[in-house]
Amino acid sequence: MALPLRYNFRNVLVRWRTTVFTILGIAAVVAVFVLLRGMARGIERSSGNTGDPRNILVVRKGSQAESGSLVTGEQFRTLRYFDGIAKNERGEPVISAELVMIVSAPRRAGAGEANTLLRGVTAGGMELRPQVTLKEGRWFVPGKREVVVAQRLASRFAGFEIGGTIKAGPDRLTVVGHFDGTGSAFDSEAWMDADEARSIFDRDTYSSVLLRPRDEAALTNLVARIQADKRLSLRAEREVDYYSKQTMTAVPIKYLAGMLGVAMSIGAVFAAMNTMYASVAARTREIGTLRVLGFSRAAIVVCFLVEGSFLAMLGGILGSALAWGVYAFVVVRGINFGTMDFQSFAETVFQFRVTPDLMLLGVLFSVAIGLAGSLFPALRAARLPVISALRSL
Amino acid sequence: MTFASFIAKNALRNKRRALLTVVSVAVSCGLLVTLLTLQRELTVPPESEAASLRVIVRNKVSLAQPLPAKQLSVVEKIPGVVAVSPFTYFGGNFREETVTSFAQFAVDPARFRDLIVEGKIADGSYDDFIKDRTSCFVGADTMKRYGLKIGDKMRFTGTIYPVDLDLKILAVFQGTVDDRGVFFHHKLLDELMGNPGTVGTWYLRVASADVANDVIARVDKAFENSSAEVRAETERAFQMGFISMLGNVKMLIGSISAVVVFTLVLVTVSTMSMAIRERFRELAVLKALGFKRTELFGFILAESFGLAALGALVGIGGSWAFWTLIDLQKLTNGFLLYFEVTPRIMATGATVAALLGIVSAIGPALAVARTSVVEGLKTLD
Repeated sequence: MALPLRYNFRNVLVRWRTTVFTILGIAAVVAVFVLLRGMARGIERSSGNTGDPRNILVVRKGSQAESGSLVTGEQFRTLRYFDGIAKNERGEPVISAELVMIVSAPRRAGAGEANTLLRGVTAGGMELRPQVTLKEGRWFVPGKREVVVAQRLASRFAGFEIGGTIKAGPDRLTVVGHFDGTGSAFDSEAWMDADEARSIFDRDTYSSVLLRPRDEAALTNLVARIQADKRLSLRAEREVDYYSKQTMTAVPIKYLAGMLGVAMSIGAVFAAMNTMYASVAARTREIGTLRVLGFSRAAIVVCFLVEGSFLAMLGGILGSALAWGVYAFVVVRGINFGTMDFQSFAETVFQFRVTPDLMLLGVLFSVAIGLAGSLFPALRAARLPVISALRSL
Repeated sequence: MTFASFIAKNALRNKRRALLTVVSVAVSCGLLVTLLTLQRELTVPPESEAASLRVIVRNKVSLAQPLPAKQLSVVEKIPGVVAVSPFTYFGGNFREETVTSFAQFAVDPARFRDLIVEGKIADGSYDDFIKDRTSCFVGADTMKRYGLKIGDKMRFTGTIYPVDLDLKILAVFQGTVDDRGVFFHHKLLDELMGNPGTVGTWYLRVASADVANDVIARVDKAFENSSAEVRAETERAFQMGFISMLGNVKMLIGSISAVVVFTLVLVTVSTMSMAIRERFRELAVLKALGFKRTELFGFILAESFGLAALGALVGIGGSWAFWTLIDLQKLTNGFLLYFEVTPRIMATGATVAALLGIVSAIGPALAVARTSVVEGLKTLD
């Protein structure tokens, strides 16, 4: 089928003003869509990216987050002697009982306070989390009131720089280092010695237990055994599974992205329709001429669809590029975003991520807008009777 | 033909375009109003006069850290404190639900009575609630949502406390800003937990709003340098603190609204310039007939303003009707309780639309003004 595409192309250039407005409008819609999706993606990634598939995390049955869980010393001692737990060089089981506390701290911007997660870890707990590496300063010394905070968290709170102090009631903790959690949920935490944390917060219980089974078969056995033990009333699951379930925080943002995507695309479809109808109406005589020259009705429909979706695609590419530009700016400037995690009530630090697949999604979205917006105008163009089309001014 | 009917005829002569323009302006205006309302709901808690009379005292470390129950005798004696009750968030899941869809608090019923100022007892009797240690005091919205009646049992699985509750509804309240909560005896929680001697927070009422700040300072001071330092703040400040923890949400919604407005401008500007370009010849004829530039500008302005206003009316009115009529609590699963499209927000939307109508008339009007009659008559499309 011969298509008068050259004609369409030149037309777009001649009517550049309308073209530019249409492209910019669609670009704005696509940029918002891609950025919001990128935000939800960033939050999901921070919890989906956490943990080691070889580890088991144990919390109290019924608790939704580590911060609301209680594991007693007795339960911990029982777990410690379960069969199938890996042993280190010294012959000790690789297991760590930890305390997760919420501490409120002042924001850097001076805008009130927010909760942060303070984790009391043991040496074993650090071995179990190779994801976390020291970036600056040094690790805390057990028995001292020292704390190491995630670099990303430090960028959002006052007093979290090395040498700063975090107040926990009447007690003060000195920040001695910054760690990098490589985009995991640990990027929203501060770590200190577990025993010291228990003494400060006056707790004789732990929050959770992290352990490493000997092998895959031992892992399955251990999970089944802990779950079945009525006396313990604990819940065991793979550490990665536990964290991937903690993605609820991203849900409201995902909804928002969906709702805005739909509402804004309705607006964009109408705008695109308007532009295409106008350009069809203005070109009635030209369309008649094309028909006389022998182009079929179908060819006319297709070429108007191509024109509309091509314009929209340009908008989509521009919008995706814009979203990527914002993302690049945020990464270069090292800006971190935070929102409240509705499960732990502590601040989750995240960075939004604009990936090539999201950008592609944005472009596809724009093409869909373009097709929807140009379908009716294209059909109208094809239906114009040749003679009257030629006569019209 | 009057000027008004001339303008109206012009605006509607391409009915499809007029409709598309009105609809796209309406969708964008509706979206803008919705976003602004969302921002307001997330950043401004529902106002209640009594909230400035009530003070919440929490552990300075964080809300999650409990307070010793023995602090009660000290708090009680602080001048300006009229009533005080323990106030502990239980955070249980109702029946088989997997999320906490409404709050439950453990209180001291006899003391708590003096703290509820604005609500009233809608059903049952508060005295019965005080007498029965395993009973609860429930908000009317929750009663309605689950179809509960006096005497029914409510079962909660603890997510923070390792205990479950089985409570009998003996009284119902109504008329507070949030009629969803469930209140039960702190004694019951203490018993189930093996009397740990702790409470979540203290909830107190001060004599008047004027003394609130003094009372707050006195409470903070009373426990300074003790093992459990406290932070006291008015209920309103407490809610604002929660909201500030939402982080960058406010900025996020603000920037999206800006983009929506920007798109809106693009759409109407381009429509108006299309509508005028089509009519260049006619406008030239009008000029030749002796109409002044200002009059032509008036025609264009009236047309674009009229279309924008109609779109705004449909969009703003439509979103107002939508958010007023739907059952929001059901839709958001208790996440949002109110979604009040305030007159102020509607006025903001209308102002944006009005400015839009004016801005989009400027470009085409300038083009018309600049074109000479001869040039205008020569234009083909």
